Amino acid sequence: MNNLLDLLIKAIAYSSCIGIGAASITLIYNATKTFNFAHASLVGWGMYIVFALTCLIGYTPYHHLLSAALFCGLLGGIIYLSVNRRLLKAKAKEVTLMMSTLGVDLILFGFLNVFSDYLLRVHRLPAKYFIFETRDIAVSLGPTSIRLVGLVAPLVLVLVVVILHLFLTKTKLGISMRAAIENPELASLSGINPELTYAIAWLIGGALAGLSGGLLTLVVTGYTAAGMTMVVSFFAGSIVGGLYSIYGALLGGFLVGVGEYLGVSVIATGVGGWIYAYRPAIPLLVMAITLLVQPRGLAILWGGRR
Amino acid sequence: MIELPPTVLQIILNFSIGLIVTVSLNIEVGFLNLPQFGRLLAVLTGAIVAAAVPGRILAAYMGLPWGADYAYHLYNFGIVAQINNMLCENPGLSLGTLVFTLILAALIGGAVGYLCAYPALRLKEAYLGITLLAFGELLMTIAWNYDPLVGGTMGVWVVDPFRFVGAGGTRFTFAALFMFMVAIVVYVYAELLARSPFGRVLKAVRDAEVAASVYGKDIEKIRTQTLIIGGSIAAVAGALWAFFTGSMKAATYTRLTWTFWPWAFMMLGGVGNNLGILVGVFLYTISRTAIILYKGSISAIIPIDPEWLEYIMIGLVIVAVVLFRPQGIIPEKPTLALPKQRLKAVLEELDKEK
Repeated sequence: MNNLLDLLIKAIAYSSCIGIGAASITLIYNATKTFNFAHASLVGWGMYIVFALTCLIGYTPYHHLLSAALFCGLLGGIIYLSVNRRLLKAKAKEVTLMMSTLGVDLILFGFLNVFSDYLLRVHRLPAKYFIFETRDIAVSLGPTSIRLVGLVAPLVLVLVVVILHLFLTKTKLGISMRAAIENPELASLSGINPELTYAIAWLIGGALAGLSGGLLTLVVTGYTAAGMTMVVSFFAGSIVGGLYSIYGALLGGFLVGVGEYLGVSVIATGVGGWIYAYRPAIPLLVMAITLLVQPRGLAILWGGRR
Repeated sequence: MIELPPTVLQIILNFSIGLIVTVSLNIEVGFLNLPQFGRLLAVLTGAIVAAAVPGRILAAYMGLPWGADYAYHLYNFGIVAQINNMLCENPGLSLGTLVFTLILAALIGGAVGYLCAYPALRLKEAYLGITLLAFGELLMTIAWNYDPLVGGTMGVWVVDPFRFVGAGGTRFTFAALFMFMVAIVVYVYAELLARSPFGRVLKAVRDAEVAASVYGKDIEKIRTQTLIIGGSIAAVAGALWAFFTGSMKAATYTRLTWTFWPWAFMMLGGVGNNLGILVGVFLYTISRTAIILYKGSISAIIPIDPEWLEYIMIGLVIVAVVLFRPQGIIPEKPTLALPKQRLKAVLEELDKEK
């Protein structure tokens, strides 16, 4: 019974993280038509910022989530200013935009490893591989106790939905951002600066990636290539969500995560434990099927784009 | 047989493999503008063919277990050792195995390319790129976990068709030169393809798809054919690499090495231009070898592990090329339908008629 509860908690936490990260990919893709490969290393940086601050300053990993989000948001902003803006001005093709973020990803990955080596050599931290699950706080619920991340991660997911919704529908900046995404020419005629919109999309997108990475330290083993390994799940979430809908991405990412964690366990009870090894194949299959059967993804559920 | 210094051989080897894969990528991306982010798929297919097929055939021929037992790691080592002993004394059989496997890899790689046509006819741009990337990862996950194919996480040993010339440096020399030969053949083929009417059709479809189809070109057929050609060439590279390394572990075939790096070479040299590809792969191979050679002195100057320096360098190359020189080092030139002299003669004749 306890095992089942633990699995459930972990699945919910993991799925929430994937949902938050998938929203980042969708947001950046919608605003700038850039399919962000650098997401992998942004998530990795989020993980390592939380790791480094928790080990060096203390407190729990939760205290440092905001720092991770802030740091990765800044990285996103830098990516926009240094690379993405010039390409958008030159009206580069989608594939070129995609390739440019791949280059950025390799650079960020290189520096992430340098950072990890630095933590290892100078501060003697076990930065190659780290497991933070044991540092999580147990919350007692009646007879059993669950890990705090099982509550915090979905809470953060809901908060992200609410804040993004309020931002996009109630603030002037958010509304003008939507306008600029829908029709940049028309928006700029009515006095909206599309470049500001793109910059904000990269800032928020980077922050979401960092947030998701920071939370993931409490769910999975941390290592520098963790973001690269998991990035396919984030892509899958974004695509299952329809790639045009931020809410779709949040939901799609959540579903992909649940499918990966729980789906495999359900299938395993029928066919046997050997299926566990194929867990990484699930998001890939879900993604390929969605793309081929219904490329608009979950967004068809509410019929619209957003 | 002559032996070349290991550094030179390493450069020849990396250059040849890089050239084969990148040329195959360029046929799809440069000539037809297909966002092929799943080059890994065909390369891995070739490697799996080399690891799974010739060994089993030879094992069956020698009366050794060749079914699922063949890939079981406790038996596999012994079986492959016996096969290699036999291949060692039998140059004809070795070469036959090599050529047969490469042809088979090309055929199966082509079939994989044909299967990729299903999404490639329905999706575009980022969607297609991500789908192809997912296919590559999917095959890797299967090969990594399904033991009877290529040993799963334990991997398998690959039969060695290069061993009959001798051990160590002699084998290395022979393997490197053989791969170099294949690379030249592939390069010449790609160059002929670029100059052929088919190559011009590809570029026409790339530049103006609607116009090409108005002129009666069957876009679907052209896309499918291109994927088949690209897939077979990439599979040959995978098979060669598996033969050379002598062992096969699916997880060592990553999207980074077999998809993203070839993309970087291609963009550095010049998309759509075979000579550019050659230059791009060459420059990269040289600088990579230099990094490995001068590892010690580099770390003395900057306190960064050279491995990470390599990532940062490739990343910077990609970003710099995209930002400052999107056409690459050697930009693509339009290919002429006829040799220059003939074109001139025709033009003069036309002038006279006026």
